[in-house]
Amino acid sequence: MSDTDGRIRLIILGGYLGSGKTTWLRHQLHEGNFQGALVIVNEAAETPIDDALLGGSERLAVLAGGCVCCAAKQDLIDLLRRISDDRSRAVSTVSPLDLIILETSGLADPGAIVEAIRSDPVLVYHIVVSEVIVAVDGLHGMSQLRSEPLSRYQIEVADQLIVTKMDAVDQAELELLLATLQAMSPGAMISGAVKGMPHQLPEFSQTKAESLKDLLAEDVKAPILPTRLHLDDSIDWTAFTVWLSALLYARGDDIVRVKGVIRTPAGRLLLQTVRKIVQSPEILPEQGDTREDNIVVMIGRGFTHSQLTKSLRHFVGRQGD
Amino acid sequence: MCSACGFPAAPGHWTEAGAANAHERLRGRYRRAQVLQRVLPSYNLSVSETNDIPGIQLSTLTGSQSIVSHLDEVWALAEKVNGTPVDPLDRRFIGEE
Repeated sequence: MSDTDGRIRLIILGGYLGSGKTTWLRHQLHEGNFQGALVIVNEAAETPIDDALLGGSERLAVLAGGCVCCAAKQDLIDLLRRISDDRSRAVSTVSPLDLIILETSGLADPGAIVEAIRSDPVLVYHIVVSEVIVAVDGLHGMSQLRSEPLSRYQIEVADQLIVTKMDAVDQAELELLLATLQAMSPGAMISGAVKGMPHQLPEFSQTKAESLKDLLAEDVKAPILPTRLHLDDSIDWTAFTVWLSALLYARGDDIVRVKGVIRTPAGRLLLQTVRKIVQSPEILPEQGDTREDNIVVMIGRGFTHSQLTKSLRHFVGRQGD
Repeated sequence: MCSACGFPAAPGHWTEAGAANAHERLRGRYRRAQVLQRVLPSYNLSVSETNDIPGIQLSTLTGSQSIVSHLDEVWALAEKVNGTPVDPLDRRFIGEE
């Protein structure tokens, strides 16, 4: 504890939408790392999904409905103050809290969170940000760096970069990504992972980093926003997947992330996509919080809630058609 | 997902994950054809489901036939035929905003 002088250590786990933050953390918890830590999960959408996956953590708090680096910053500060307060009041506890892991939403700039905690007059005495870990999508990371300023901010503030999905990307592209990451964040330790498990990095010292063009205001596309779509009983899995697969095929670059738990005859299915890639749906147990079932969160740009519902309605058709 | 820390993944193409048995899979095939038939004709394709071949049977207006194995290939074929992908947010599906 001497290195943190009695303050709670806070690890920020960041990374772009769908970069593999939850997968990585889930595996760490499964392996028994971060014992006793409080895990705080932040999701920009009002529908939390990731908490269902992090059942392995002993203590879990969810901050949903806004990104904690901007819209919901005060919610995070309030939560951390409450935690600090509770810890100070506890005279003697068997296992005092000394580690918090904050999994940010994919839209968060970890730098803004560090800044908010460091500049809070109360928190500065209770919490010390010990590390910023950023997951980088091995498959989509390079294209995100070329077009999204946010993905650059995330990498620039990282102490540790974890390149995920290493098994899904070709060698030359991976080396280019690694070299570019190292050039952008020379102090960061870079490691690789596949499904949360450590994976050997290829040799990339001979690879030249890509010099990224400055993104001017006109290059920056519309902001990426979450939209909640409620699937009522008239919408069946088959019609929904025909619609979603067409939507991703046509607009996968703008529909950055889709997440949701959908009830089907085969059980509760966890559906997750990252751009055009759809993960095999996981079959979730019937237990647990099912209030958010059949709500799908679509994160992206270039569409409205009303357009999505009209379009889906057209695909589904009326009963008896 | 890692088999140790994750939940089991549904087998097969992701769009077919909603069926637990052969009966539901069959119903899913007919339903899929029904939904596709609402969408594809305006993209110069039609679909037929006879349940005697695995895959999805498509034909163009000129009568050429193709059999594809899953929905992603349907959309790829539609793009090839029309030069533009089937866009669910196109006006023909959502009307004038």
